[in-house]
Amino acid sequence: MPTRVTVDVKGEDTHEIDLERLAASGNSGEPISYADLLAEVDLSPHEVSVLVDGRPVPEDQPVEADHVTVLRLIKGG
Amino acid sequence: MNCDRCKGDAVMHAAYSGAHLCEAHFCESVERRVRRRVRRDDLVPKDASPENPQTWVIGLSGGKDSVVLTQILHETFAEDPRIELVGLTIHEGIEGYRDKSLEACVDLAEDLEIRHEVVSYEEEFGVRMDDVVEDDPENMAACAYCGVFRRDLLSTYADELGADILLTGHNLDDEAQTALMNFLEGDVAQIAKHFDASLGPLSEREEQTEFVPRAKPLRDVPEKEVALYAHLADLPAHITECPHSSEAYRGEIQKLLYGLEENHPGTRHSIISGYEELAGIVSDQYSGDDGADLRECVECGSTTTREVCRKCSLLESIHAV
Repeated sequence: MPTRVTVDVKGEDTHEIDLERLAASGNSGEPISYADLLAEVDLSPHEVSVLVDGRPVPEDQPVEADHVTVLRLIKGG
Repeated sequence: MNCDRCKGDAVMHAAYSGAHLCEAHFCESVERRVRRRVRRDDLVPKDASPENPQTWVIGLSGGKDSVVLTQILHETFAEDPRIELVGLTIHEGIEGYRDKSLEACVDLAEDLEIRHEVVSYEEEFGVRMDDVVEDDPENMAACAYCGVFRRDLLSTYADELGADILLTGHNLDDEAQTALMNFLEGDVAQIAKHFDASLGPLSEREEQTEFVPRAKPLRDVPEKEVALYAHLADLPAHITECPHSSEAYRGEIQKLLYGLEENHPGTRHSIISGYEELAGIVSDQYSGDDGADLRECVECGSTTTREVCRKCSLLESIHAV
């Protein structure tokens, strides 16, 4: 697991997240997941897709990449 | 993390079912849900045949939902001589936004070799949404005007194109939001109308000869999965939000549902499942109440419950500015 992750929310902000701090603040003992990163930047997994190297990843997967791209869903269809 | 079915790399996790799926099994799962909904809603009537083909008009905006719906219906029925698909795109007169999504619609219709019709507010009503928003004579949100005009044109042109059904790309999130909004507004009559207009199986709906029946075959698929399908299938979906979009109450309900879904996976599915059952019951209860008040608009002749329909009264205020 990397120690820091860059979360790039496309069209919005880029966030640097310290995984060790995040792990220390949680009490579950579970590895940090992509869903945990989203919670940290106040996004629901139901309103975004998480991409690693351009490929979608399941949000409950433990974080393995040090850079993730987050795409917001666009309403309207 | 691996796919539950083939051990390939999973691209998604559906918390409501616990499934992890790879690209191929995820796409197959979306397609299966759409086809199952087409069957459950009895969209292909028993008397449809190559000699008596059905015309299905799809409201094709160029956004992810309508593009995915069109693609899956095309894959399902391209070889079926009983069903002809027609794409219908409405141009609202929103500079930049609709021009780009119209390109996506044209590309898709060309790729799939389906008939495609485009109509505009400007040609039909002499208005453009960019100007309507500027003038705003009724002091309303842009979507309140736009929705009235869009529904009018979809239904007029569906009729003109000889549609047996008008299909739209509403997904599970859209429908769960609408269900909750109708419930929270206490609008039981609206719930009954919702069933008869677009939710119930065609064979169970209250007969409505005045309107082309509507159907929403994507409504079992969460919005996120529709977007993921469009991304993985590399469909020409246009991904920009409408610059005038402003449905404050729906946005509030959407946030509420995200929170509920997070803490209680499957909430959207259970809302819709219970709502459809209730809607069927209240539709029976309200049966026969609706048709009696319908009349022709004195301005345009469309079916309405008023002397002048909502579209014509909005146009009158807009043109008066």
